[in-house]
Amino acid sequence: MAIVEAKQLTKVYGSGETAVTALDHVDLSVAPGEFVAVMGPSGCGKSTLMNLLGGLDTPTEGSISIDGKEVAGMTDEELTKLRRRRFGFVFQFFNLIPVLTAIENAALPLTLDGMSEAEARAKAADWLAKVGLSDRMKNRPDQLSGGQQQRVAVARALVTDPALVLADEPTGNLDSRSSEEIAGLLKTASDEWGRAILMVTHDPRIAAHAHRIVFMEDGRIIDDTQIAGSDDARKAMEKVGLL
Amino acid sequence: MSVSFKLAWRYLWGRKLRTFLTTLAVIFGVMLIFGLNGMLPGMIDAFNRMLLGAAGQVDLSVTSASSGYFDSSIVDKVRNVNGVAAATPSLRRTVGMPTGSALGTVMVVGIEPRSARKVHDFQQQSGRFLAGSDRGVVVIGTDTAGELGLRLGSKLTIPSVAGTRSFEVIGLLGNASSPGASEIYMSLADAGMLVGQPGKVSTVEGRFVTGVDRAAVESRVRRALGSDYTVGGLSTESQLLASLKVGQFSMTMFGVFALIMGGFIILNTFRTLVSERRHDIGMLRAIGARRRTILGVFLVQSLVQGVLGTALGLLAGWGLALLAVNALVPIWRTAMHMDVTIKPVFTPGNWAVSIILGMGVTILGAIIPARQAANITPLEAMRPQMAEVADRGHKKLVLVGWTLLAVSVPLLFITGNTSAIGMGAVLFLIGMILVAPALIAPLSNLFARLLRVTSPATAELSSSNLTRQPGRAAATASAILISLAIVVAIIGLLNSIFAGFFSYIDKSLGSDFVAIPQGLIIGGSHVGADQNLVNEIAGTPGVGDVATLRLGAGKINDGEVQIIGVDPVMYPKVASFTYSSGTSVADVAMLGKGRTMLVNGIYSAQNGVSVGQTLQVETPNGLKDYKVVGIATDYLNAKLASTYISQDNLESDFGVTTNVLVLANAETGASIPMVKARLERLFRDYPQFILYDSKDFKDSQVKLIEAEMPIFYVLIGMLALPTLLALLNTLAISVLARTREIGMLRAVGATRRQIKGMVVAESLLLAGVGVSFGIAGGLVLGYALTFATDAMFPMPYVFPWMGIITAIISGFTFALLAALIPSRQAAKLDIVEALHYE
Repeated sequence: MAIVEAKQLTKVYGSGETAVTALDHVDLSVAPGEFVAVMGPSGCGKSTLMNLLGGLDTPTEGSISIDGKEVAGMTDEELTKLRRRRFGFVFQFFNLIPVLTAIENAALPLTLDGMSEAEARAKAADWLAKVGLSDRMKNRPDQLSGGQQQRVAVARALVTDPALVLADEPTGNLDSRSSEEIAGLLKTASDEWGRAILMVTHDPRIAAHAHRIVFMEDGRIIDDTQIAGSDDARKAMEKVGLL
Repeated sequence: MSVSFKLAWRYLWGRKLRTFLTTLAVIFGVMLIFGLNGMLPGMIDAFNRMLLGAAGQVDLSVTSASSGYFDSSIVDKVRNVNGVAAATPSLRRTVGMPTGSALGTVMVVGIEPRSARKVHDFQQQSGRFLAGSDRGVVVIGTDTAGELGLRLGSKLTIPSVAGTRSFEVIGLLGNASSPGASEIYMSLADAGMLVGQPGKVSTVEGRFVTGVDRAAVESRVRRALGSDYTVGGLSTESQLLASLKVGQFSMTMFGVFALIMGGFIILNTFRTLVSERRHDIGMLRAIGARRRTILGVFLVQSLVQGVLGTALGLLAGWGLALLAVNALVPIWRTAMHMDVTIKPVFTPGNWAVSIILGMGVTILGAIIPARQAANITPLEAMRPQMAEVADRGHKKLVLVGWTLLAVSVPLLFITGNTSAIGMGAVLFLIGMILVAPALIAPLSNLFARLLRVTSPATAELSSSNLTRQPGRAAATASAILISLAIVVAIIGLLNSIFAGFFSYIDKSLGSDFVAIPQGLIIGGSHVGADQNLVNEIAGTPGVGDVATLRLGAGKINDGEVQIIGVDPVMYPKVASFTYSSGTSVADVAMLGKGRTMLVNGIYSAQNGVSVGQTLQVETPNGLKDYKVVGIATDYLNAKLASTYISQDNLESDFGVTTNVLVLANAETGASIPMVKARLERLFRDYPQFILYDSKDFKDSQVKLIEAEMPIFYVLIGMLALPTLLALLNTLAISVLARTREIGMLRAVGATRRQIKGMVVAESLLLAGVGVSFGIAGGLVLGYALTFATDAMFPMPYVFPWMGIITAIISGFTFALLAALIPSRQAAKLDIVEALHYE
């Protein structure tokens, strides 16, 4: 069964003459452990799709089910709980709390869920070690490089053992070396730790780490291709005219 | 530790300067409330100790319901009540000592030695105690003896109604019965002669049989004596205490105003925090933080600041009370001849009000921004970090503000009613606060035109910085508005009061010579003089008309009131009242016809009394009906609720013949200095009076007022301080919030000097807006205050030029001071760090 399944998903901003259709009857599903990259030009609806699938925004039309359960009609409280326990988020701008240390940032979703501080810290420490930051646990964000901050964000996204990690341009603010590291981490999360990943990216090299690339244009999915490595990725991109 | 608490604490600790500045606002408000209210109960307590004597040390205390003297035979009625073991009469009176005495006042206590020892526990240390037949001797406490430099056998001179009298010290007591009150014990007969009340007593004190039901005995005593007597505590001079309580209320209001300003500062800080942390909050919501967790972060933060600010405010308030009390004691000694030890007293009520308001205002100030924060959607985390953008206007609130302003105008200027004007002033101030966001842009553009002359680029930037956050600028301007409006209004009111008082002096004390009590209060510690002195004055060569004031105490509708006796024929010849509309000098003559009275402005305003009404006055001889024939005020009694009757009526109804104030004119052509020299010789035996010629007196009053002015200035200065705090806080926030933008400006070529200039200009613009608001608010508030006070003390309205100048100077000086640190911080920012600032 798919972790997340969207049917005829539509999002319209504004109304009347000023209405803009950001997403136009999109169907998409993500299976457990699958790493999906979403690509397309600016304004094609990638981020809107991600926000809707992550329960951050509500669709104008269509339905989303997560773990087979329909999202429509969920209360704010239920959606909050769902995000906390089933999803992990990685943002382009890292979004770490500047006054908390790396380990406190990574432990945040667990402490928000009421886990004891000691237990949450122990789990966060494990994940920080897995992302290669065991020597930076007590540093605050301003004492970490961009790549290190994003690794803390990945650890924070994975610490709750989520079914799906949503990553919105996770390498958009990083140099190429750090970008490769983060993409590799996400791949590991999918291949070795069994997490489903849905990643929005502009970068073909980063998309090449995924198992599948979904191409979007003008709010619609124009292609959905399984890939196995950078050659497949390049061919898929050439097919839709992105390269 | 909960997530909310941890985050709140980290945010507070991570922004120490901002935390400090915001907390400072709370500290300041709590300090004023706690400190000022701690000072006043201390003063009231000192009065109690001075005036109410040892009432607390006995089981029972009986006084006249009209606070006057009564026949000593009443003690037998008390003794006969079942449950009373012993009762003793006493005659207590605070007496002002001659100039040069080590003590300004002493408490003369006439006692019946045998029965007094059954009620009081006198500890004889040396010499002997009084005996029944003793005359011309006194027993005093060792501390009083030490202060006056007396030993056994020494002579003590005390002013009396018939000139000074000398007493021999025959015994020293180990314990003064009430600390701080210097008691002089003498026979009842001697005390009666001294204060001109032979055979009379002021109190009967009693001791109960051990183990009796105290309430039941008190109630039996009450039944035995009837309604002419008060059983329980003493109530002497409680008009003064009432005045102090009014003062206490005003002080609380100052503190409350200061805290409201604190509330605005806190509101501003938290609004900025929310806007700065939108990204963090969005992310927290995205990863599963509940709305209430976000609400909790901000509320915990405000709670921590509230606790910290309140605790430090209480500490600072304690210091303020101590400082103020120490500064006041010498002034009391000089102005009122009251020799007391005042200690700050912090009542449970004061603790409760200070803590509740301190914590309450902090949490209230944070609650709206906290709710806004809780409503931030997780999508905010997805958006790129934006620089500060313009906030939305609150059109509905602005509309409500304009409506309130429109409603306030007729209330202020058409109704002519004190309550309506007061309500109009409050509506006006609230209206101004609500319309402030809409006025920020036009006013700031107006002031920016002036700045453009010196630095066009800086003026443009600072003006746009202000106008893109009209909410924040308006909250700051509102804090300045309240602060400076109070400054303008109080200075205006003081100017009007002083102008009014000087006009009273001219009228009420328009005679060539005036002999007044040392303490300027004609009751209380002043023993006065009998008719012999007046006759001697009238017989002095060069002296023309002579008039006097006499003083009795009575009750009208259970409220205490001064009853002043005047001679309806002589008084208008040497002095004049300030008449309220409808009353004229002809009405003074009416006092000679039957039981008629004039009431002063305060009494009329407080009790709603008008001309033609008949008032039932409680006198030592029972209830008497007096018809009100006019409303008039004399200078010395302008501050206390008073009524004026003829001296004949005062004698027949109140038994008072003592003169407490003497006014005399010189004969035409007589040399003032020569007549004064003759009168001075006469007054040598009456040191309780100070003799002035009218010019000297006016000068002495100006000096007295000038001596009190520094206290007013300190208070007024403290009220303007929040202006500095509000500006400092807003500028610090503004610089922090625009760190990236400042980095960008530096990157594209702005010099450090230009950045500094931009922050200073922003401060000056904000001050310009705030000062404009403050002056407008102050003029209205001052008008309302003067109108309300005018009902009690008729006075001219003096336009507060001084207040306006003070507001302008303090507003802009504080603006420059407030900009010092933030502008330096902004100018010093490292470009790269600033561009990456989160």
